[in-house]
Amino acid sequence: MRVLLRVLSALLGLAVAAAGALLVVEVAWAWARPDDVPLVVPWPRWRDGLSGVDWADDRVRWLAAGLVALGLVLALLALLARRRDVRLADPAPEVTAVTSPRSLARVVGHRVRAADGVAGASVTASARRVRVRATSRMLDEDALRPRLGQLVGEVVGGLPLARRPRISVIVDSPKDRR
Amino acid sequence: MSDRSAAAVARSARGERVTALVIGLVLVLAGVAALVVGAGWVGTFRAHRPLLDPLATEWLAARGDLARVGALVLGLLALVLGLRWAAGALRPEHRPDLVLDREPGTRLTVTGGAVADAVRADAEAVEGVTRARARLVGGEDRPALRLTLWLREGADVRAVWEELDRKVLDRARTSLGVDRLPTAVRLELEAAERRRVR
Repeated sequence: MRVLLRVLSALLGLAVAAAGALLVVEVAWAWARPDDVPLVVPWPRWRDGLSGVDWADDRVRWLAAGLVALGLVLALLALLARRRDVRLADPAPEVTAVTSPRSLARVVGHRVRAADGVAGASVTASARRVRVRATSRMLDEDALRPRLGQLVGEVVGGLPLARRPRISVIVDSPKDRR
Repeated sequence: MSDRSAAAVARSARGERVTALVIGLVLVLAGVAALVVGAGWVGTFRAHRPLLDPLATEWLAARGDLARVGALVLGLLALVLGLRWAAGALRPEHRPDLVLDREPGTRLTVTGGAVADAVRADAEAVEGVTRARARLVGGEDRPALRLTLWLREGADVRAVWEELDRKVLDRARTSLGVDRLPTAVRLELEAAERRRVR
């Protein structure tokens, strides 16, 4: 998201700058030589066109809806481009330590997959929450879930996290479907 | 935690985020306003006026020079702000050098690359670290160290912690002769080791 925002910022910034430059050039040109044709932008044609379209026109409505959609995408992108780092306890004064949610998920995933009776697992993690979804062929949810919850708690507790995330474990087992 | 070490964790995107948010909200408001006018909620008469209203063009024509100056200022503003926005997004992150002595005539600096290389080599010697990357970030007068460590599977994070502060950072501070070196450490846990492809 942050990379996308950076690329988009560069493109939009250049577009805004280009529009500003065209505005300056055309206004200055029209001011200096009112009787000449415009330099780059055929604005007299646009002006006549805009004078013939009213606000209730379908094209205007679609354009307005497009503006709303574009604005929402841009605002959403700005809000989503925040840092998702998982803070760790500071090892020393003037030292800040973080890890990535992916790292946390990887550590938990390795340990869960190595546990007895687990066929596979997917883990998603953030600073606030670790979700584990494990599959098992041999054991049902009642047998495996408390054990995995404890295991994940130990793994997470063994890391010097600044804030202990909530842990949720779901076990998917064919035994529960019978 | 210090602000400087926390700020060094990653390149800031605050400027881009605020600008994108403001522009996004302005676009939403403009679109909604156009839809409201088109729907006739501010009067059916208004909805059937042309987009470029003769009332508006006459008002502008009556203030010809003022309108032109206004348009010129607006265009220059868009040009400058747009270029600043793009340049801020495209510019690589600043990597300052470390100024050790600011006395006039005896200015002593260590290049950011030299500091980074020394710290990286020390960090890679720590037990459990497979790879390290270091870089000086921040302003010239308030530099900070950003250190990324890739840890081997099963490495004891707390032990790495201790050794990192005791050996690597302490040594960096002593050898550079500074009492404080704000540092942001980014840990990648249990990352697969890079293998050389032959």
